[in-house]
Amino acid sequence: MASTALPLTTPFASLADPGPLSRALGEPTWLADFRRQAAEAARNAPLPNRARHLWRFSNPERFLPNQDPMMLGPTPAPPPWRLDEELSAAVLLSGATAQVVHLSQEAQRAGVVVAPLAQAPVQEFLGKAVPFQHGFLEALNAAAFRPAVAVLVPPGVRLEKAIRLRLVADGLSLPRILVVLGEGASAEIVEGHVGGSEGSQVLGVSEAFVGPGGELRYDVVQRWELPVTGHLTSRIVLAEGARAQVALASFGGTLTKVDTGVILQGKGAEVETYGVALGAGNQHFDHHTEHIHAASQTHSNLDFKVALAGQARSVYTGLIRIEEHAATCEAYQENRNLLLSEEARAESIPELEILNEDVRCTHGATVAPLDEEQVFYLKSRGLPHHQALRLIVYGFLDQTLSRLPEKTRERIEALVAGRLHGEVL
Amino acid sequence: MTKKVPVFAVEDLHVWVGEKEVVRGVSLEVFPGEVHAIMGPNGSGKTTLVQAVMGHPAYTVEGKIFLNGEDVSALEPDEKARKGMFLAFQYPVAVPGVTVASFLRAAVAARRGQDVPVKEFRKELLSRMEQLEMDPAFAGRYLNDGFSGGEKKRLEILQLLMLQPVFAMLDETDSGLDIDALKVVASGINAAATPERGLLLVTHYQRLLNYVQPHVVHVFMNGKLVKTGGPELALQLEEKGYDWLEAQVGGGA
Repeated sequence: MASTALPLTTPFASLADPGPLSRALGEPTWLADFRRQAAEAARNAPLPNRARHLWRFSNPERFLPNQDPMMLGPTPAPPPWRLDEELSAAVLLSGATAQVVHLSQEAQRAGVVVAPLAQAPVQEFLGKAVPFQHGFLEALNAAAFRPAVAVLVPPGVRLEKAIRLRLVADGLSLPRILVVLGEGASAEIVEGHVGGSEGSQVLGVSEAFVGPGGELRYDVVQRWELPVTGHLTSRIVLAEGARAQVALASFGGTLTKVDTGVILQGKGAEVETYGVALGAGNQHFDHHTEHIHAASQTHSNLDFKVALAGQARSVYTGLIRIEEHAATCEAYQENRNLLLSEEARAESIPELEILNEDVRCTHGATVAPLDEEQVFYLKSRGLPHHQALRLIVYGFLDQTLSRLPEKTRERIEALVAGRLHGEVL
Repeated sequence: MTKKVPVFAVEDLHVWVGEKEVVRGVSLEVFPGEVHAIMGPNGSGKTTLVQAVMGHPAYTVEGKIFLNGEDVSALEPDEKARKGMFLAFQYPVAVPGVTVASFLRAAVAARRGQDVPVKEFRKELLSRMEQLEMDPAFAGRYLNDGFSGGEKKRLEILQLLMLQPVFAMLDETDSGLDIDALKVVASGINAAATPERGLLLVTHYQRLLNYVQPHVVHVFMNGKLVKTGGPELALQLEEKGYDWLEAQVGGGA
């Protein structure tokens, strides 16, 4: 594949030396080295190009930083955050800093570490789930990331209450999250993306590692303000017998590209991924999921639903890959799209790479307009047109959300309801 | 002396499906407390008639529709429903992800013009469900999703009882029911047949009418009402079939 020369004009020239950024942030040597290697990888990486597979549907140029990613800008005050639920920890990632707002006594006693990434012992994990080679934007994040947080849950520790990370978009944000669960540990991480104004860009990377027999629930809830352009990459690596449940919810932003995946690295690992996206106006969503079965007896299930009004666009590409040596795996993937207007468009592209014959693998994809018979039925019961539509969309998405744990479900349902009552319908 | 106002009336109603005229000039009046039955062979346009009256967007309609003397011809289906018109569907559509309880609460609030407190609503719902011999778990199921024919029909009658319309059309509510379910559904219809309300039963067979006594029976053929009589007319049709009448009304049908 032909690589495109980097436009090393003024804004990107600082990629040559991330040292000043590292020093300004007061980072240890190992992290400065990491950034230097990442910057080198970014300089040599091909720019995202529409000829490349996963960029066919979204213009990559719109994700390139419109300011120098190495320059630390002023840090505006983050919007107020009221913690109204019981949490193991709460972290506010805004500007260049990750501020631990709350860490429960239970979590502290158990030895849970929730800290700015530079202060956490995560050297052996950083960049291992999302390597520099993943792509230019990921390498750029590795070279220039901030704010960043690390969460480490020691072996055997099972956190009942969630860890909430609030990531505020403002100007150019390059947040990075690293989560490590020890053997038999259990935790729920809620990665919530908020904020933004005209010209705001987000290039985020999240990595998570779940030790043998561990359990991770990972929720990514994107509700940026409308002008935001954002690109989020995440990978979760599951060791033997580890389990993950991933919930994706995309509501905001003008242009959103999410590249998320789980690598079932250990025998018997399992993952369930549930996603909803709700778009209106001129919003454009591009979601890519990957379930990589790299070990035997692994199981994955994905259910992703999209509802679009106005001129909104959605692209979904979903890869299931079963490696040659991974026998007796099971993988399911379903993507359904509901179009609420004649101008809305959705693409759904399932991709299967099955290198082992001893597997069960199915997928399904639909793009369908609103069922007028459903609308008529609900209207015949007295529900006004908009309310009928809202109920249909709510039901459509709720079939997926109903599989999530109660609290996660309630949280996302409230956002769906708010969005349906506010801007979409 | 004040003139009695029909709860429901249509005047010279014509309905087109695309270019095809399916209902070809129907006039009908239903007075408070009356139960009318419209019987007719398959394909005669009975379902088109009631769906068009309710406001199905697929149909082009000419003529007038009145509810309690008010011209509702131009109203949207939801406006008609809030004013008290109801249609029990022959084939109610499924709305996955929406529970029976949440749907009914929204519908009841729309009909009554105000929200009903959850506790009060639940009590009323469970009482009505008991009346129709329905399992309380039914309330948590998705609307018509995976329901048997009998369950769908019971749910339509449950809605009739919860929404308390002024005038209700019941489209082949007897089809697909075994005898026990038919009795339960019929008892629900009888409970809805109050002195203030008008009911219009659309049916193919006499069997529902063994349990719900109509005051007036109409025969509908080829898009028109061709004969009107008392309950004995239904019995005649049961005995002789529709061919007898078709021969009698000839080309006029």
